[in-house]
Amino acid sequence: MEMTEKIEETARELGARVRPQIEEARRRFSSFNDTAIGYIKENPGKCLVGAVAVGFLIGKIAGRRG
Amino acid sequence: METQPDNPPNGRAPAGDGTKKLGKRIERVGHTAEQVWDRTRDSVTDLGEALDIKGRVDRHPYGTVAAAIGIGYVLGGGLFTPLTGRIVRLGLRIGMRLAVLPMLKQEVAELIETIEDEEVGKSKKANANKGR
Repeated sequence: MEMTEKIEETARELGARVRPQIEEARRRFSSFNDTAIGYIKENPGKCLVGAVAVGFLIGKIAGRRG
Repeated sequence: METQPDNPPNGRAPAGDGTKKLGKRIERVGHTAEQVWDRTRDSVTDLGEALDIKGRVDRHPYGTVAAAIGIGYVLGGGLFTPLTGRIVRLGLRIGMRLAVLPMLKQEVAELIETIEDEEVGKSKKANANKGR
């Protein structure tokens, strides 16, 4: 019984310590996602040409290895 | 004898005439290049409007970028490579899991329900027998 309580308490403490970090990471990820989407929407041509170039390079490298 | 710039001897063209012709030719080439540039720009604009690239990017920004990467990959000659095989296999595996898992869950749930119903039926029968 005591052991269970201890485990529960440790888990609660761990959760309380980790939760703010998880929230912060989520907030940062969300902010990064918004920035990326905004950039893509503002510069569609640049992004698409860049993406095609990246794909082309990956294809070339894959072709050379294969 | 006086030299006349307009009528040089032996039918040769006057000195300034060549420069004039060259200038005209350059002008013509410049004009043609301008026309070609305008036409190309119009074609690109028409293609962009036909494909509705702006709208597509607004609706699915990541999807459009992924599609562009795919187009580049194919253009780069990466289609018939072991990497493509690996990617396809991975995609199939994930797809199968995503498709099969809910089906399995449903089957297991139905099985449990059937077993529970059977047990309830058995206990009812047992109770009825005891009552007799």
